[in-house]
Amino acid sequence: MTSLAGKTALITGAGRGLGRQHGLTLAERGASVIVHDIAGDAAEETAGMIRKAGGEARVVGCDITDVAAIKETFGALGTVDIVVNNAGTHEARLIEAISAAEFKNMMDVHVKGAFFTVQTLLPDMKERRGGKIINTASAWGQCGWHTDSHYCGAKAAILGLTKAWAKEFAPWGIRVNAVSPGVVMTEMTRLNRTDEEIRDLAEKHIPIGRLGLPEDISNAVAYLASSEADFITGQVLPVNGGEFIVGI
Amino acid sequence: MAGLEGRIALVTGAGTGMGRSHAEVLAERGADIVVQDIVEDAALETAELVRTAGRRAHVAVCDIADGVALAAVIGEAAALGPIDVLVNNAGIHALTPFEEIAEAEFDRIFAVNVAGTFNAMRAVLPGMKDRRRGAIVNVASTSGQIGTPGDTHYCASKGAVLGLTKAWAKEFAAWSIRVNAVSPGPIATEMTVRNRGWEGIRERAEKEIPLRRYGLPRDVSYAVAYLAGDGAGFVTGQVIPIAGGLAIVGI
Repeated sequence: MTSLAGKTALITGAGRGLGRQHGLTLAERGASVIVHDIAGDAAEETAGMIRKAGGEARVVGCDITDVAAIKETFGALGTVDIVVNNAGTHEARLIEAISAAEFKNMMDVHVKGAFFTVQTLLPDMKERRGGKIINTASAWGQCGWHTDSHYCGAKAAILGLTKAWAKEFAPWGIRVNAVSPGVVMTEMTRLNRTDEEIRDLAEKHIPIGRLGLPEDISNAVAYLASSEADFITGQVLPVNGGEFIVGI
Repeated sequence: MAGLEGRIALVTGAGTGMGRSHAEVLAERGADIVVQDIVEDAALETAELVRTAGRRAHVAVCDIADGVALAAVIGEAAALGPIDVLVNNAGIHALTPFEEIAEAEFDRIFAVNVAGTFNAMRAVLPGMKDRRRGAIVNVASTSGQIGTPGDTHYCASKGAVLGLTKAWAKEFAAWSIRVNAVSPGPIATEMTVRNRGWEGIRERAEKEIPLRRYGLPRDVSYAVAYLAGDGAGFVTGQVIPIAGGLAIVGI
């Protein structure tokens, strides 16, 4: 196991779900974690869990769609070695039901948020000639879905950022990759589906026969964040139990 | 990260280069290794490195293109215990212009790179199905993803490895057997150094590779170890390119 000791990792949207687990996993491997969330209580709770497990954490809060707030908050962090762009939002909608405001918010949270987070932290990474950026895509951004086209579009845009940044930042030794989760068992999944629906989904649609766990995604993030993945950049690591096998 | 303690891994073509590196890294993480190679002396050397890392090693010498011979030597490895991890690394390469590729050369590339992968999977699959667990890591190549001039038969054989990876992932998921691929780009193995020289490597790295260096065998081995371990328990049918920013393709 490669240690992340001595590294500082910023995780956006780490107040719950996948982001919270990323925080716990990276801290377990020795990283000092900056827990970001718009909800201060949730972020404090994650930080508390990290500290209770013997890890190091601090909390920052800002609205990820507010560029001025991003610049102010993340610009004051000092050295950040690992950025996990995890903050996201999701709502089940057919195209007719997506308002202009919802569309804009979807793009702002995922794309603009990640974009200006990285723009803010990049000068320091360039100066130190290193850094790891891990974006969160989605199987739906790779393959599409029957609903939520605004979400699919935003996640596909994340793939574009990942590949372009990998090329643009490579001369400074900054690596940029993405994880692409499939269906993962989070609080939100439990809220939105009955146990029977979840069983049905796992048995009929996911070859490996179960939903993902947040740890499955966090392990992929930790691998990409470590020096073991130093020759990997511009790539997408899909973690979806075989439900979505595409690309080449 | 989940270690590989108590696992037994078959690494094909483990006598030299990347295969040897995979065997070493998996052994460092606690796996015992079945070292397969066509060259006995090379396999014995790798086995010694595995033992130095504190793990058990069994040497399996045969031509991987010969399915009957492979099944026999893998059968002998049962003394070590059941095989949980298969790293399909054995491969050959030839730089030959398209018009000059003779049928025999074409056949040999496919016999080792594709049929060899197929043979090894056949050899370990019954045991994995019985125990309802297993992790396969196939070694593809960025050449099979994006094409390179001068080795069309090799590119095609590595493309076939990607097809096997994706189909096997779906066919064997019901037994909790995961199948993924690593896809190395420019890696400085002994063979690369011999062919290009360090000067040639430096030149190409600066001109063509976004991260401006060649990878080392270990860069690939770490991806193999990640995919072989339980930390990748929800990853199947996927390809991880290790290429320093070359071959940014697919989605």
